[in-house]
Amino acid sequence: MASSTTITQQKKPERSMSPWQIARRKFVRNKLAMISSFFILLVTLMSLSAPFLAPVLSPLPDISKVNISAMNIEPNGEHLLGTDKSGRDVLTRLFYGGRISLLVGFSATLIVITLGTVVGALAGFFGGFIDSILMRFTDFVLNFPFLVFVIVLNTILYGIVDGLWVLIMVIGALSWGGVARLVRSKVLAEKENEYILAALSIGCSPFKVITKHLLPNVISTIIVQGTLIFATMIVIESALSYLGFGVPQATPSWGNMLSSANEPDVLQGKPWIWMPPAIIITLTILSINFIGEGLKDALNPKSLR
Amino acid sequence: MLKYSIRRLLGMIPMLILISIVVFSLAKLMPGDSLSGEIDPLNTNPEYIAEMREKLGYNDPLPVQYFNWITGFVQGDFGKSTRFKTPVFDIIMEKVPNTLLLGITALVITYIMAFIMGMYSGRRPYTLGDNAIAGFNYVMLAIPSFVAAVFAIYIFAFQLNWFPFAGSVDILAEQGSFEYYVSRMHHVLLPAIVLGAMSTASYTQFLRNDIIENSRKDFVRTARAKGTPMKKIYNVHILRNSIIPLVTFLGFDFAALIGGAIITETIFTYPGIGQLFLESVTSRDYPTLMALTMLLSFLTLFGNLLADILYGVVDPRIRLD
Repeated sequence: MASSTTITQQKKPERSMSPWQIARRKFVRNKLAMISSFFILLVTLMSLSAPFLAPVLSPLPDISKVNISAMNIEPNGEHLLGTDKSGRDVLTRLFYGGRISLLVGFSATLIVITLGTVVGALAGFFGGFIDSILMRFTDFVLNFPFLVFVIVLNTILYGIVDGLWVLIMVIGALSWGGVARLVRSKVLAEKENEYILAALSIGCSPFKVITKHLLPNVISTIIVQGTLIFATMIVIESALSYLGFGVPQATPSWGNMLSSANEPDVLQGKPWIWMPPAIIITLTILSINFIGEGLKDALNPKSLR
Repeated sequence: MLKYSIRRLLGMIPMLILISIVVFSLAKLMPGDSLSGEIDPLNTNPEYIAEMREKLGYNDPLPVQYFNWITGFVQGDFGKSTRFKTPVFDIIMEKVPNTLLLGITALVITYIMAFIMGMYSGRRPYTLGDNAIAGFNYVMLAIPSFVAAVFAIYIFAFQLNWFPFAGSVDILAEQGSFEYYVSRMHHVLLPAIVLGAMSTASYTQFLRNDIIENSRKDFVRTARAKGTPMKKIYNVHILRNSIIPLVTFLGFDFAALIGGAIITETIFTYPGIGQLFLESVTSRDYPTLMALTMLLSFLTLFGNLLADILYGVVDPRIRLD
């Protein structure tokens, strides 16, 4: 992104492609990344349309109701993926669970990226005292045993704020350290360029220099990192929910659904209850990772494809 | 090097103090009353409780309480568990060997597997075998450890009956006998493989890429020109150079194993530190919780330090001072 000199010329020399166009073309050519994108799109659409899809696909569209008459039914024509131990349709819950898991993943990623970028950009741009204070703080956050603190914090805040947002805020607030370090190092390298000096010398405010000149040049790194963090956040959400410290049990999320595998009886004899969420979590993470790899390749001006 | 290590070790102290303050505040913020196990649970007389609270220092100002806790802590007095009514130190010590065994087994398996797969892939890049290993590793990197654990239990413990699915040792085995140790290894193997799966995948890919990169270097050409057999070039000349970066991962693994152990131990109901931690959260066992959080924080810090120092030890080009 950084330099326009590497832009390859097209056949018609009048108009060369913008860096974003080049990136898009490289990404579209990457088969694995494209398939993954479609998969993620599909999962997102299905999750978003869960309230409309559920009545069509299942005779039991209500996810909160316990149906004693329909407990532990194996997959059949009526219940495509069977029902769980409370008689709730697994496929319907999978759709609703996707809403929660993706929401938590996305919101937490947003928090992480925002906090990390702000801290990293400020530390890198101003340097000196501000840098050392902010970086000490970052080290502090990075050195926490993450899972331990998330579990403890979540227990404290549980009940004070709505469960879902507690989780989002806690995992968001504890995971921005890596992004901050990355953005700082990029900003440190970028601010040595002459155009920054030029911008400063004509009287641009530091705020304007950071937002208008520095950040556009590090945004590609942030985008790639954001994709990978999105995958991590989904894993963290489902792992915590699986352990019983994440999303409240009443709300279906992929991790919550999987936690039924804690009972040896379900794990051994009723794989239709826990396998769908397990498979969809893995496929989602795999797809997001492929998209991240694809973006990394596409946004790297040095890779020619 | 020594100077750097000492400086870094001293630098850990303010960090640990900060963490201890955070841990203490968190424990005080947690719901429920942190009455210690020293109060007789059958005596519900409010006067008795009030008296005991006074005696145990629960009415002191918070800084005083913190100071009392931390002075006891650094002297090895972790307090008394509210759940087991025994000193926290003993409870933790009882579980440490299990977690150590799990962690070390996981590391050994990780390194062995990564070496075999990485060297195979590195020698034959872009072949069917290499692509198969790469594909397998991609899945291993993407699959969350708890999902892997659930699948592992379902396939290897329930369907194939190769491994037990819970516990750390067969209850029938007599302690100290040969069968006892075999049973322990048998129990630890499956969780260890799952715990190490993710790092195995990343190590393998790293080693592969490093071997490919090194095999294009001048010293390899020189060795070939001299007539050294390819086998020796790969197993001695290249491997020696490719091992170096792998060693530095050891420190980071430390921290990763701690986080991973909490999940893996819980799923396999393996009685170790991670499981103890989760239990102490659910049962509001504050003294144990605080001690374990401090311990795990310390280990994470130590792991990061180890990674930095190893970095300098194996690669003399990196100046640490």
